[in-house]
Amino acid sequence: MSIRTLSIFFILLLVAGAAPSSAQTPAPNPDLELNIAQPDFTLVALPTNLRLPKFKSAFRVTHRFTRPLGDGSFSDLASDFFGLDTGAQIGLEYRFGILSKTQIGINRTSDRTIAFFGQREVLAQGEHSPLGISALATIDGTDNFTDRYSPALGAVVSRTIGGYAALYLEPVWVNNSNVLPSELVDDNDTFLMGMGARVRLRPTLYVVFEGSPRVSGYKPGEGQMSFALEKRAGGHMFQLNISNSIATTFGPISRGGLTNEDWFIGFNITRKFF
Amino acid sequence: MRRFVMSVCVVGASMLFAGCDENLSTITGPTPNLEPTFASIQRDIFNARDLAGRQACIECHTDAGRNPSGNLVLLEGRSYAQLVGRGSTGKGGATLVIPNDPDSSYIVHKLEGNADIAGQRMPRGSGPFLTVGQMMVIRRWIELGALNN
Repeated sequence: MSIRTLSIFFILLLVAGAAPSSAQTPAPNPDLELNIAQPDFTLVALPTNLRLPKFKSAFRVTHRFTRPLGDGSFSDLASDFFGLDTGAQIGLEYRFGILSKTQIGINRTSDRTIAFFGQREVLAQGEHSPLGISALATIDGTDNFTDRYSPALGAVVSRTIGGYAALYLEPVWVNNSNVLPSELVDDNDTFLMGMGARVRLRPTLYVVFEGSPRVSGYKPGEGQMSFALEKRAGGHMFQLNISNSIATTFGPISRGGLTNEDWFIGFNITRKFF
Repeated sequence: MRRFVMSVCVVGASMLFAGCDENLSTITGPTPNLEPTFASIQRDIFNARDLAGRQACIECHTDAGRNPSGNLVLLEGRSYAQLVGRGSTGKGGATLVIPNDPDSSYIVHKLEGNADIAGQRMPRGSGPFLTVGQMMVIRRWIELGALNN
């Protein structure tokens, strides 16, 4: 059985394992309402616990300029308009609410990496739980999903604080994070502890931080770290971010940034279709 | 039912993850069977030419009917003792293979053509030389203790 077949099989299983939704009620679907503290499906690269309503979808563009902000003099940087004149790694992502509390999606970046992902909420923050928890499964494949697969399993643990902030802790295990064969390396897996926060400064203005320190396993360079400023406008979220890596999926995130001296400017745009 | 589905998920994930590692042969190029063991290095690097046409080491490093180059014999059964922990005859103070330390092992310097070597890069001549992938395997064997395995 090929890796592709297995990955699709696994994601379908994740979906099949979801509990059947309870009988339909005429009450409005709360998933369709704006979650003011958790307005988007991602922080910068890490996922959030925002639920995608059943049979609704969302689209996201990620754009990371590949010129490090610290490369060359300030006038060089300014003449490149702070990296915007240089090449970029672009990602297109589509996610779909296949069941209540369950979403699947696909992400392709311009380095020809394709990632499939599935996320299922297992516990919602509320009266019975101070935390929201989702299970997460992803698999990256390079060269249009024909080479070098990096599957990952993890959880997204969140806590929203009123309508003003949301905090995240995301333990994720990434397999085959090292691009070399296991015979040549000590570690071929990475366990990372993603963490992040989104704080609402103004009614539609947010600041975002996320970090993905590697706890064990293969961990070259520095853990990925990002800061962002974002503006919500209807069904859109516009985000301007700065990161020490251009990674947007878990395989590259587990490999981290080269150093903490190279920072890259980028942006995300999300559009919800509901 | 839920327990069954969870079990199937775990089995599916295990199968999926087990199949994701890279193949060593994609790295080792002209020596597809090369592994980081001394027996494999002896067989695929010392004893035989590879698919790229690189010379076998024992074409010169032999005492069968000639003086071995560098006074180093790499024939099977004798090569390990000639390499591991032994000094180079070409460069004073250099040790050919230092277990666990590929960067300081002089055989690595000679095969990669570092600036500090005495004499020519190996294999002698204009190439083909060992590929980056082949050198990664040799480095890994040293890194793992340069065992006689």
